[in-house]
Amino acid sequence: MKKDLLALGFVLLIVAVLLSGTKFQTVEEYYLTHIDDITPESETVTVSIECSNILKNWDDLDPSLQSEEFVPSDGVILPPTEYVLRPGDTVFDILERAVRYNKIQMEYQGADQNIYKSVYIQGIHYLYEFSCGPLSGWMYRVNGEFPLYGCSRYELKDGDVIEWVYTCDLGRDVGNDWKEEAGS
Amino acid sequence: MKAFSNFHPLVLFFYFISVLLLTMFTLHPVLLFFSLLGAVLFASMLETPRAVLVSLGFYVPMFLLIAVTNPLFSHNGVTPLFFMNDNPVTLEAILYGAAAAGMVISVMYWCRCYNTVVTSDKFLYLFGKLIPKLSLILSMALRFVPLFKAQVKKISRIQKTMGLYSSESKVDRLRGGFRVFSAIVTWSLENAVDTAASMRARGYGLPGRSNYSIYRFTPRDGAALGILAVLLGGSLWGMKTKVLEFSYYPRVAALSLTPVVLAGYAVVSALMFLPFLIEVKENLVWNYFRSKI
Amino acid sequence: MELFSIKDLSFTYPDEAQKVLNSVNLTVSEGEFMVVCGPSGCGKTTLLRLLKRELSPHGKREGEIRYLGTLQEELDDRVSAGEIGFVMQNPENQVVTDKVWHELAFGLENLGLPNGEIRRRVGEMASFFGINRWFDRKTSELSGGQKQLLNLASVMVMQPRVLILDEPTSQLDPVGAAEFITTLHKLNRDLGLTILLVEHRLEEVFAIADKAVVMDRGRVLFNDTPRTVGGLLRDCPEKGRMLLGMPSAVRIFSGLNATGACPLTVKEGRLFLKAHASNQACRRIEDGELKPLGKELPAVQTKELWFRYERNLPDVLKGLYLTVEQGEIFAVLGENGSGKSTMLRAISGQNAAYRGKVELFGKKLQSYKGTELYRHNVAFLPQDPQSVFLKPTVKQDFQEICSAMGYEKQEAEGVVARLAEQLEISALLDRHPYDLSGGEQQRAALCKVLLLRPRLLLLDEPTKGIDAYAKNTLEQILKELQQQGITTIMVTHDVEFAASCADRCAMLFHGEIMDAERPREFFSTNTFYTTAASRISRTLYENTVTVEDVVELCSRNGGLQ
Repeated sequence: MKKDLLALGFVLLIVAVLLSGTKFQTVEEYYLTHIDDITPESETVTVSIECSNILKNWDDLDPSLQSEEFVPSDGVILPPTEYVLRPGDTVFDILERAVRYNKIQMEYQGADQNIYKSVYIQGIHYLYEFSCGPLSGWMYRVNGEFPLYGCSRYELKDGDVIEWVYTCDLGRDVGNDWKEEAGS
Repeated sequence: MKAFSNFHPLVLFFYFISVLLLTMFTLHPVLLFFSLLGAVLFASMLETPRAVLVSLGFYVPMFLLIAVTNPLFSHNGVTPLFFMNDNPVTLEAILYGAAAAGMVISVMYWCRCYNTVVTSDKFLYLFGKLIPKLSLILSMALRFVPLFKAQVKKISRIQKTMGLYSSESKVDRLRGGFRVFSAIVTWSLENAVDTAASMRARGYGLPGRSNYSIYRFTPRDGAALGILAVLLGGSLWGMKTKVLEFSYYPRVAALSLTPVVLAGYAVVSALMFLPFLIEVKENLVWNYFRSKI
Repeated sequence: MELFSIKDLSFTYPDEAQKVLNSVNLTVSEGEFMVVCGPSGCGKTTLLRLLKRELSPHGKREGEIRYLGTLQEELDDRVSAGEIGFVMQNPENQVVTDKVWHELAFGLENLGLPNGEIRRRVGEMASFFGINRWFDRKTSELSGGQKQLLNLASVMVMQPRVLILDEPTSQLDPVGAAEFITTLHKLNRDLGLTILLVEHRLEEVFAIADKAVVMDRGRVLFNDTPRTVGGLLRDCPEKGRMLLGMPSAVRIFSGLNATGACPLTVKEGRLFLKAHASNQACRRIEDGELKPLGKELPAVQTKELWFRYERNLPDVLKGLYLTVEQGEIFAVLGENGSGKSTMLRAISGQNAAYRGKVELFGKKLQSYKGTELYRHNVAFLPQDPQSVFLKPTVKQDFQEICSAMGYEKQEAEGVVARLAEQLEISALLDRHPYDLSGGEQQRAALCKVLLLRPRLLLLDEPTKGIDAYAKNTLEQILKELQQQGITTIMVTHDVEFAASCADRCAMLFHGEIMDAERPREFFSTNTFYTTAASRISRTLYENTVTVEDVVELCSRNGGLQ
């Protein structure tokens, strides 16, 4: 009886995975992406990812991450880079393209899985929320401002400058005085 | 042979709580391996090895299920194996899942052992001291449940032989079930009158009731409790000071084999294998004495 | 020393006009084994319960009860609870806790004894009663006999000076009952414990008691040694009724209107007959012809019946062959666990045999569809007649069956009235089924299943828990039903009942039916599994198996010399 239930669970899981239109790719296939070439006519934005805050709070960092492999010595994971802006692109779209092109690990919570109806970035380059103290996580700035809403709802325009920064103090250490964590 | 079960309920309870706590709060592969192996070996002493083998038929698929599920939800880890819906399925996540599965299954095996070793009267003994009335009520309830079940079965069978309540219609069956139930309630009350009389006749309600138990706390139990406390303390200290810590993300840590860590392993394995070793020792002693006769 | 002295005790239940006890005077001396007997409703249970203050029924009481000289009302609570032990009829309901050891300790816990002393006393009692083998078991796993022994032990552990027992063996099988009585005897003989016992199975008890008290209609008729009482009963005006349940030796003595010392045991009975009835001109009673067999289809025919409860459990029925002709009363005897009840269930379609076949009235069991089997064909009366009833009154239970059978309202009333009359339960129709006595409950249950108009009646231990008078009534009812063409199969431990009631008897052993015989043939060839009357008379006569047989043959031979 118990065994049957278990077997049934197994089968259901497999069927669910297959039916939900699962796409399987090898690692090479996944990273084999093209990035649009920048032409004089194309609209562009600039994106950068850095975590220099961690260097200042090294002792709070998860011991398993205390290595140059995960936290570069200058804190820069992606220096400011220009990407072509496609119509309707959000902050999230640009980030996803950038990390994929640069083979940077990234994990997020889909927009359908939280109450904000927006993608939430859990971790970039193995650095996750709470990896460096209970108030740590990823936030983003556009043209120096911290938007108040999720990155998959912020539509970009030509020339925007996006900075993904890692905070160890709920944004206060990166210049955001609001209480909310605006990166989500 | 159930040498371990002969310890005082307090010792047994303390042991199972310690083991469960340690198991539930660690994902260290070595610790979990000790825990799982200890539980399985002990279970095979309590039950027949065959019964444990059969149970593996349930636990192995369950292990796989949990181990496979984790990578679907966790994408951390430096070793992506392939991508699923643009999300990496990583080696680290699979290993983490396996550890979690090992943890769950160890806990289940320990609970299995707990059920055989800490029987209801031992449990009642432990907690009845706090609330004596409650322990008597529980004991009475435990007597009554099998009785009640048997009576339900009996009455429904008899009603069937009278051709009642056995028709195909669901409504009829439901109604029949309800009637059987209401008859059983009357029967229980009737029963309770006699039981109450029997209690009164034996002096229930006299002031100054005492609480008897067949368990005695012997020096052997004291020693066992002491040893357990030391082992548990050692293990907790090891976990607290991160000597017995292990991380899976972003990269599976290497097993360190420093003397301190080895000592930690020794303490934990001693705790996990204790019941099994006691059973084995008792078996050997038994065989030895028998060979002497 | 007088343990109990009862003076002018009368008792009336609330809302009842008649006194249940009517100026009873009785003394119980220390160390006495006293057995109290009498027909149902004579007040013996009420008397016993009044002696235990905690169990005294509500009602109007007159007269006084003294325990060791102290009025019952003034007794210390602990003395009353501890020194007067009481064991009731139903083994099941007296058990309080879930574990045997806890049950034993329960009374001592109530007295507030320290752990060490409880441990010692519990251990001592457990080994005296042989309970140590199942000391750690759950009480729900015990057999009826074990439960009753446990009840006795958990009273004994309180070290009572007197033990009062209200029909303690009525729910037990003969083996369990004999073991229980032996234990009582041992307690009395070896510990000098005073015992006050109400019993209706007197065959063994009567001989070991010091005093026999016979009650009727709330009064004490006789109170003397069993031997004297046996003699007195001979001259009792209503001796037919009073003698029921008495040991066979006493009944033979009385039936022959003998004089001298009344025999009590089988051995004494045999010596008595040898001495006084040596004429053996006629040594046999010829059985009347049974209805010619085999002309009609048999009521039940099983062939090669194999049954087991679980795949990995042993077989209970092992190739059982059984043929019961229409119109017979057929008794199947056998020990506990021989598969008697299982066989009945296989015949009534509750258990499906995995091999072999059952035919009822020439038709395969499986081809009875739906409820067809249970209407107009087979009725099953379970061991525990209480489980037949679901409604608050007997009448409502009957009405339910009537509507299920599709009787018209008037027809139903007629049928119920007629059957109730026949079964002597007309006065009980408005009572709650659980309030009836064992015999009444059983007749009411029988009435309920007879409303199904069966052709075949299956009885599982029909004499369990009912007294000799009710047994007698049941026998008459079964014979009347036989006249109406109803076939009866019963499984029973009760050899006396089978001997006087059945047309044929068979033994179930090892999952098989041994040869079926007429009762006189069957019991006179058995050595142990036979009636007391047969054991008393077997050296003298060839096939006398009931008291009536013995008395008749003896009279034919010219009576006593």
